[in-house]
Amino acid sequence: MAAEDLPSEFDVVILGTGLAESVVAAACSRVGQRVLHLDRRSHYAAAWASFTFNGLLSWIQQHHEESLPEAAPDWSSLLQEGEELIYLSGSDSGFIANLQVFCYTSEEDEEEEAAPPADTTEEEKSDNKTDEEEVEKQEEKLEEEEQEEKLEEEEKQEKLEEEQKEEPDEVRRRTSNPVALKLIESLNASHLVQSQTDHTQGAEPEEDQPHPSVTPSQPEPRKKISYAQLVKEGRRFNIDLVSKLLYSRGSLVDLLIQSNVSRYAEFKNVTRILTYRHGNVEQVPCSRADVFASRQLSVVEKRKLMRFLTSCMEDTEEHQAYKERPYLEFLRDQNLGENLQHFLLHSIAMATEDTPTEAGLASTRHFLRCLGRYGNTPFLFPLYGLGEIPQCFCRMCAVFGGIYCLRHSVSCLLLDSHTNRCKAVIDSRGQRISCSHFVVEDGFVGADRKKVATPTRLLSRAVLITDSSVLLSDSDQQVSIVTVPPIEAGSPAVKMVELCPSTMTCIPGTYLVHLTCQASGSAHQDLSPVVTKMFNTPDSPEQGERPSVLWCLYFNMADGSGVEVEGHDLPSNVYVCSGPDGDLGHERTIKQAEFIFHKILPDEEFCPPAPNPEDIIYDGESSTATGEEEKQEQEEEQEEKQDEGKQEEKQEEEEQQEEEQDVETHEEEQKEEKQEASE
Amino acid sequence: MSMEDYDYLFKIVLIGNAGVGKTCLVRRFTQGLFPPGQGATIGVDFMIKTVEIKGEKVKLQIWDTAGQERFRSITQSYYRSANALILTYDITCEDSFRCLPEWLREIEQYANNQVVTILVGNKIDLAEKREVLRQRAEDFADAQSMLYLETSAKESDNVEKLFLDLACELIREAKQNKLDNNDTAPMPGEGKTISYLSCCSLN
Repeated sequence: MAAEDLPSEFDVVILGTGLAESVVAAACSRVGQRVLHLDRRSHYAAAWASFTFNGLLSWIQQHHEESLPEAAPDWSSLLQEGEELIYLSGSDSGFIANLQVFCYTSEEDEEEEAAPPADTTEEEKSDNKTDEEEVEKQEEKLEEEEQEEKLEEEEKQEKLEEEQKEEPDEVRRRTSNPVALKLIESLNASHLVQSQTDHTQGAEPEEDQPHPSVTPSQPEPRKKISYAQLVKEGRRFNIDLVSKLLYSRGSLVDLLIQSNVSRYAEFKNVTRILTYRHGNVEQVPCSRADVFASRQLSVVEKRKLMRFLTSCMEDTEEHQAYKERPYLEFLRDQNLGENLQHFLLHSIAMATEDTPTEAGLASTRHFLRCLGRYGNTPFLFPLYGLGEIPQCFCRMCAVFGGIYCLRHSVSCLLLDSHTNRCKAVIDSRGQRISCSHFVVEDGFVGADRKKVATPTRLLSRAVLITDSSVLLSDSDQQVSIVTVPPIEAGSPAVKMVELCPSTMTCIPGTYLVHLTCQASGSAHQDLSPVVTKMFNTPDSPEQGERPSVLWCLYFNMADGSGVEVEGHDLPSNVYVCSGPDGDLGHERTIKQAEFIFHKILPDEEFCPPAPNPEDIIYDGESSTATGEEEKQEQEEEQEEKQDEGKQEEKQEEEEQQEEEQDVETHEEEQKEEKQEASE
Repeated sequence: MSMEDYDYLFKIVLIGNAGVGKTCLVRRFTQGLFPPGQGATIGVDFMIKTVEIKGEKVKLQIWDTAGQERFRSITQSYYRSANALILTYDITCEDSFRCLPEWLREIEQYANNQVVTILVGNKIDLAEKREVLRQRAEDFADAQSMLYLETSAKESDNVEKLFLDLACELIREAKQNKLDNNDTAPMPGEGKTISYLSCCSLN
């Protein structure tokens, strides 16, 4: 498509499509600001993005390649009198490090002992033919393009593998069964077959490498999903770079509802809270219903837990007395017993042994407040992954006129020497775009101008594709958060989220597992001890009844909690947004977005509800096409706006009423529960 | 809330190059208007029209791109949970036709497998400026197993038909799915939407 020029005048220019930037974009656009929102990447959501499996492989490859900082073109010729230039950072590779990939499943579909009925393959073949015929019918151009794309993909794959071979220490690849070349039944298009063949050929030299000590696993009841299948069904994965959950009464959920951005997304409840203790995964009872139903807890423990949960909601003198002392100490003194103490500290407060009582109580209360709003746990997870959320805010911005352009960056800022304010930016094509405010993702700000916490904080992340859940239950569609306390002294506490296929983030037969902790070493050093203990990998000391890891990725990413909005060596109307932090929720990011919005527009409302399309009444149903339409329409629009206003008010009233109703049911339920409890 | 007064609700999403008349098609269908200018849709997310087909009330929720197609920057989330896609090009603009494979790739990437796709050649009122022959477009649509229709939002040709045909097709599929009852692939809209309405307090 011909590259159209961007308009050259905006109120707010935003670079980077991470969560904070996207919320600011939506908020500004909503109240009538002209917003230009850019990202140099070809995908939305920056470090908050989700990728398909194949998308993730390309992303890994990009970060393996040494990215040479692009020499910024000299735009000084565009300067006018009294202006200065500030160049932005040419590469954002700084935020990812120590990428390591392991594949523990076979390259191709394993040949089963009981060979699949031959006619299936026949069918597949005949399908191929029709496919090919169809392809032929298509326009040549289309075919060429497709081929090209596949070729590119092949190249990428090969490169990826080459890299993996080149770095045997860093990237090992284990095949539990030598490749079965013949069986290509799962592939139904000619070009794919080719790419797969190449793919395995590329992997052949691996046989020279020392083979893993594992013997091919015993014939399993289920067919193990092969690497080829992961690639083939790759688009059905949505793998997040960050792993977070939404607290059901957290600021992100509140904002989604308040702004009506929630209409763009759908959510699943996190169904279980689990913890790892004494080498086992256990379910943590947290809602009243759970506590009463729990078989792990004795009657005495149940009573103690309920009493504690009820009492901790109110601030007491005792709480005050423990304020600065560790929460663990406070819990110990409540005589709760080891079970409850573990649950309360690690799974409910998600605290460490050093967390002070004040903070521990605050997070316990937050947890309890969120409980039961949408389900049995305090958490929600968006269908298709967290990467959807920034995009939803971008959509809201666009609906209110914001202009979007990916693969497009800002190379420098134009500074008014007198006022020390940024008056315009120069984009990557040398176009001058004037703006009153500039919001930028911290990765684009050069290190020389940025004030960051030293030493730079990092998060350790691991992403696993596994073949079953860490805790089997009646349902195979559980979404679980697992708190893993330090497995030995000095190792970090790990948060683990296990997603099932119905979250639309992985394919049936697999689970997607995210691990996160504060980095003390590389991601692999920090997290692989947990992975080998809780899952079967070739490195596991013994193979037990645990899920097997099919494929995994380790990496470190910058911890956004070390970056502030202000205090950088930048003009006063330039605001820096930090990337994701290691917390489970989104509080920090939403607060930051709101702060930036109020810096830009001190008197405007932050994300007021967008009108509900169903409430906008168009008054033109009966009108016929005439030349006077334009005028008519303008009038209508004005009326619409007035209508909108009224509708909003109405809506609010209705909502308030409904909330009141909710409160009523709430009270009733509490009464019922009290009765139950007394029984 | 009170009982919803429809039997089916479908989300229909429009895509295609800028300026091919997507917004005009929606406005013509939902409001009976032919808007001369763009930008009139600021703040409007989607439009609603309830139609009756064989005695069943079908509510169509029709989503527009919000201009994000202009610089090829449509959010993936836009495609999620769409029941049908209307891929639009302008019969007087070869370029808009040539971009179709690119759009199909996006559909393949982000849309649900079961999505119904229809190819629409708009602006047939400008027949004298036609650049894309009907046969060519039909062949292309056939090869991709898409339905094909030519419309004029300006003259209101085939606009009603476009949406009604889609609605019929969607009902047919919905009934089929119910019969097959194979829920191997989760249907769009399976997850929860969060709003004040869906709150329930247990604690």
